[in-house]
Amino acid sequence: MTNTLLIKNGHVIDPANGIDSVMDVYVADGKIENLGKNISKEADQTIDAKGLVVTPGLIDLQVHVREPGREDKETIETASMAALAGGITSIVAMPNTAPIADDQTVIEFVIKRAKEVNLVNVYPSGATTKGQHGKSLSEINEMKHSGAVAITDDGVDVQDENVLRRAMEYAKTCDILLMSHCETDTLTGKGVMHEGWVSTQLGLPGIPAASEDLAVQKNIILACMTGARLHLLHNSSIGAVDAIRTAKKNGHKNITAEVSVQHFSLTDEECFGYNTNAKMYPPLRSKRHVEAIIEGIKDGTIDAFTTDHAPHIEPDKLLPFQDAAFGSIGLETSFAVMNTYLVEAGHIDLSTGISKMTHEPAKIIRKDKGTLSVGADADIAIFDMNKEWVVSGKDGFSKSHNCIFDGKKLKGKAIHTIVDGTVKYSNGKITQ
Amino acid sequence: MSKEIEEELIARRAKRDASFFDLYSIDQLSNDDINLIYDIAPVFKKHKTAKLSLNKGCSMVHTFFESSTRTLASFDLSAKNLSMDTTNVSSGNTDKKGESFLDTAETIDAYNPKVVSIRTAQSGVAEFLSRHIKASVINAGDGWHEHPTQALLDGMTMLSHFGGNSLKGKTVTIIGDILHSRVFGSLVRLLKKLEATVRVSGPQTMLPAYVENFGVSVHYNVEEALEGADVIYTLRVQGERGANTFVPTLREYSKMYGISRKRLDIANKNAILMHPGPVQRDIDVHSALVSVDPQSHILKQVENGMAVRKSVLWLLCQRYDGLEKEFARL
Repeated sequence: MTNTLLIKNGHVIDPANGIDSVMDVYVADGKIENLGKNISKEADQTIDAKGLVVTPGLIDLQVHVREPGREDKETIETASMAALAGGITSIVAMPNTAPIADDQTVIEFVIKRAKEVNLVNVYPSGATTKGQHGKSLSEINEMKHSGAVAITDDGVDVQDENVLRRAMEYAKTCDILLMSHCETDTLTGKGVMHEGWVSTQLGLPGIPAASEDLAVQKNIILACMTGARLHLLHNSSIGAVDAIRTAKKNGHKNITAEVSVQHFSLTDEECFGYNTNAKMYPPLRSKRHVEAIIEGIKDGTIDAFTTDHAPHIEPDKLLPFQDAAFGSIGLETSFAVMNTYLVEAGHIDLSTGISKMTHEPAKIIRKDKGTLSVGADADIAIFDMNKEWVVSGKDGFSKSHNCIFDGKKLKGKAIHTIVDGTVKYSNGKITQ
Repeated sequence: MSKEIEEELIARRAKRDASFFDLYSIDQLSNDDINLIYDIAPVFKKHKTAKLSLNKGCSMVHTFFESSTRTLASFDLSAKNLSMDTTNVSSGNTDKKGESFLDTAETIDAYNPKVVSIRTAQSGVAEFLSRHIKASVINAGDGWHEHPTQALLDGMTMLSHFGGNSLKGKTVTIIGDILHSRVFGSLVRLLKKLEATVRVSGPQTMLPAYVENFGVSVHYNVEEALEGADVIYTLRVQGERGANTFVPTLREYSKMYGISRKRLDIANKNAILMHPGPVQRDIDVHSALVSVDPQSHILKQVENGMAVRKSVLWLLCQRYDGLEKEFARL
């Protein structure tokens, strides 16, 4: 029996297909069957999307789901629920779990759990090196065949240049994406926030932008040498954007780059008052870095927006700033942050913003997702662009409440989220 | 006798209250606050260690998670001179048991102290805890951030030497390990409020990012920084914070930045030499200058510390306006 869904009169924005107008979307058996004005075909379920924006479901390349190992912070289920509430239908799960996802068993576990939970598409990534120790390579090919979409040493990064070179060569051999968190440990030292005037006023050890700049340069140089597909995670500095822009100008199509939404919206001034939710890596940087990131978004240097969703329980954040955990949650807020700080602020149009959260990240992990093309998987998000709301981390679906946008007013909210043709989230509730 | 001293203090205070309920940063102080403290502190100083009953019935807990000799002794004697009951929760024990600072502070707060002094190796702890406990929190040094009562005693030392209630037209040269210094953090904020001209001198490795944004000039050359200075304020190289790796050797540091007789003479004739302690003789300051040289005000600083701390404790414990501190338990 066919399962059908009709979305009526929504403002459909599908950047991959250049669609930006009011029309209906017809879904059958989990696939987009038809797009057009006034579709009159009967459907099992109809959503009136008048006044709402209909987009491909969002794709987030960097989510810390914490399962297995730290289910007190987050699980695949709660992360999936939070994703749905943010209009996100696909997430890449980072490998810094316990045990670390450095072999196929963890990859297979994540895929199995995601299937049981059955809310969003969860694509695991595997650790580049065994135990994320940066020394010997993980069984990358095994993990790829188990379903890993990328390898990454995540928050610790591969420091040794020769190991990184071999990892890239091997990733190229296996035709898998290598994602780099760019940080130079020796320059970061004991730093806990962006090194600048704010860190000086707070008396906190700083992380110089050079820590990121140098690692980005190193990664780009080795990606150019090896030809590996390199994705640069959460860029935040002037030097990072400049280096990526130059690499792209020089025709290195194997290099892509993302920005986490907090890095184009907030500055290091969020750290005042020793606000530990503002502690993250890369650190929130000063205004001129934020401006450079926005320039990089406008000129296409930056391909994708992510959350770097990093849940932490209260005892890990209710600490002296220097002792607190790094990271903020963000699955429920990323679209609204993009809309508020980029579209409403006049930097980019909505379609460009959506493309960096849909088909662009899909291309990076080579998934046939992020479009409303006829025949595509029916992953769809429906947003009320006029909805203004104040973020409250503790009222979200995530198990953790450490949200840097807590208390901030944002514009735009997911009303319905559909995965594989099934409405999974509607008006604040998980519907399946 | 003590009754007369109390009356003198009360008359000098003239029913004024501080605008703050905790003291974790010099940024909290208004000009009126500073004037108030510097009005009453000399009275406390004049009467030395007279036992006063101004804060009788109020207790104070010293919570030092990092070692201290002078600050702890100074706070404790000051409190006792004001008839406060005091106790110490000294370093390390609680965090070794895995208790968080917040839980420790909430427990201490349940003893109903009026004041809690806090010293930590991490920046911002005093400010953080002040939001969540009932007792007034005094920051006795937090990481590289601030040590406000130290700055207040330093300001008092300078003002009493030069007279008046501002340092306008005076040049203060601060030399040494600025980066790791919470003393600098508070001092520079206070000196700008007192309208002093401030210079800093040290190797770039020991200067924090954008230090000039405090409104100070930066001089790698110490002689240049000392030219025409009215106050020479030297800071210790903080080996315990890893500062030894910021200079090749203490020998070379001493040659470049140590204060010798010859260097002292570059400053104004009436200039004073100050140091927050502990002094590393012959590294920060030439040994002969430390305690006996008439230009050295290092021991005066210590004495003024008691007067300033008594002033702050009195203002925090006794209010005329009846206002209570606001805080939010977590």
